[in-house]
Amino acid sequence: MSSFLKIALRNLFKSPTTDPYPFGETFVPEGLRGKAKYNAGACIACRMCEHVCAGGAIQIREVADKSGLEFILWHNTCTFCGLCEYYCPTKAIRLTEDYHTAHRQEDKYRYVEKGFIKYVNCAGCGTPMVPISPELLQRAYEHVNKEIEMLRHLCPKCRQKRALR
Amino acid sequence: MSTYTIPVGPLHVALEEPMYFRVEVEGETIVGLELTAGHVHRGIEYLAMKRNIYQNLTLLERVCSLCSNNHPFTYCMALEKIAGIQIPERAEYLRVIADEIKRIASHLFNIAMLAHIIGFDSLFMHVMELREIVQDIKETIYGNRMDLAANCIGGVRYDLSEEKIKYLARQLDNLKKPLEEITRIYMNNKFVRARTEGVGILPKDEALRYGVVGPVARGSGINNDVRVKSPYAAYDKLKVNVQVETGCDVKARALVRLREIQEAINIIQHCLKEIPDGPTCIDYLPEIPAGEAVAKSEAPRGELIYYLRTNGSDIPERIKWRVPTYMNWEALKVMMPGNKVADIPLIINSIDPCISCTER
Ligand code: SF4
Ligand code: SF4
Repeated sequence: MSSFLKIALRNLFKSPTTDPYPFGETFVPEGLRGKAKYNAGACIACRMCEHVCAGGAIQIREVADKSGLEFILWHNTCTFCGLCEYYCPTKAIRLTEDYHTAHRQEDKYRYVEKGFIKYVNCAGCGTPMVPISPELLQRAYEHVNKEIEMLRHLCPKCRQKRALR
Repeated sequence: MSTYTIPVGPLHVALEEPMYFRVEVEGETIVGLELTAGHVHRGIEYLAMKRNIYQNLTLLERVCSLCSNNHPFTYCMALEKIAGIQIPERAEYLRVIADEIKRIASHLFNIAMLAHIIGFDSLFMHVMELREIVQDIKETIYGNRMDLAANCIGGVRYDLSEEKIKYLARQLDNLKKPLEEITRIYMNNKFVRARTEGVGILPKDEALRYGVVGPVARGSGINNDVRVKSPYAAYDKLKVNVQVETGCDVKARALVRLREIQEAINIIQHCLKEIPDGPTCIDYLPEIPAGEAVAKSEAPRGELIYYLRTNGSDIPERIKWRVPTYMNWEALKVMMPGNKVADIPLIINSIDPCISCTER
């Protein structure tokens, strides 16, 4: 017993291991996988996040008036696995260090991360399309020159035409 | 003396998971045991065949919390075998590091539970406090205290910066001395010895007959460590000293775990020294052809086997796993008879059962 007695005594004079949360600070390391945050401006609607999400927390669908795409992430189904962030090509979706998920029961279905991608019209033919985000251009081309910048406003068909010209 | 049958479980105060035992006793002594499993069927096997290969990474990690890293890890190895993917060398080391960190946390938990079951709660608290160091490591490096999400198809999803390597090395150093201290307690303390020595004996020949795996086998003198017998990831480049005890009792199994924690620390330190630079994952989205593969790894509880069959689509056609507890719990029929009723939870804990893995 004596072997443990020493430890017990030592522990007695140590400060508590537990954090005084919620009355004080608690340990939140950088890179903690908390609630996801979405940035519609960077999103290219590739739907990879929707594809990899095991919980089915993410939905991307066209809004009723067909003016764009709506992104919804239901925090209550999210498992904080971070796969969406990992596979998102433009990092339009990120996990934040915010782990606070307490909310009222009545807010259950409103407890979502939302975003809206408004279609833009192709500069060539005018068909509505998902805007190409600067983040994607950055990823595809190291240096984005004027020529490439212009391609951003064209739909795939017009881009093809241009390339063949 | 008359014989009684007592039911233990499916929900029992000392068993943390639902499992039903029909124990036959004569006086205070156990003479027979019947196991009834199947109380927490969660249908994960079926679910995994409805989800695509990416979603399964997350799903399989949630089969169980203590060996959570080994499930996606082994699953990825099976996928990579089918697709013929060679993962970057740095990723192999990073996989080993994640695995060994989980092993330390898992073993410490089991060791702590032992103390709790024999009523030595201050020791329980002390070990759990020590485990907190490992929990902090997981949280800081991976962003979560249980599910690391370390693996992805073709490598790993995390990297270690210089800063994090330093942090990890420092934390491991902090573990060492207290670990030696508690190892001594589990070896020498009067109370611990009284409850664990000669309890739950599983002789070597019976252990072989039942095909037990992991620390249960190694506590009965069998060297069957998958990391050495059929190395995967970076284990062929690392030195793994398999910890074998010959006591065949609860104490031997506890000591195997304690020594394996020490060994895991050594392995991680070795990794941190040797880890090569380079990418941590393949840089394309893999295509998985039709095929089948078996992969295995050494989970904290023993050998974990994955069988996977694909048909060219990104939804697995069949997925099947054999988890360590499946092999180990049958051997309880040998360990139990002859012991006292009070030792039931202790002996069950000594095989470190993972019901959620086994019945998923
Ligand atoms: S958030 Fe990322 S992964 Fe999801 S649709 Fe947008 S770009 Fe694709
Ligand atoms: S973190 Fe995981 S569960 Fe949550 S939205 Fe992203 S992929 Fe889905």
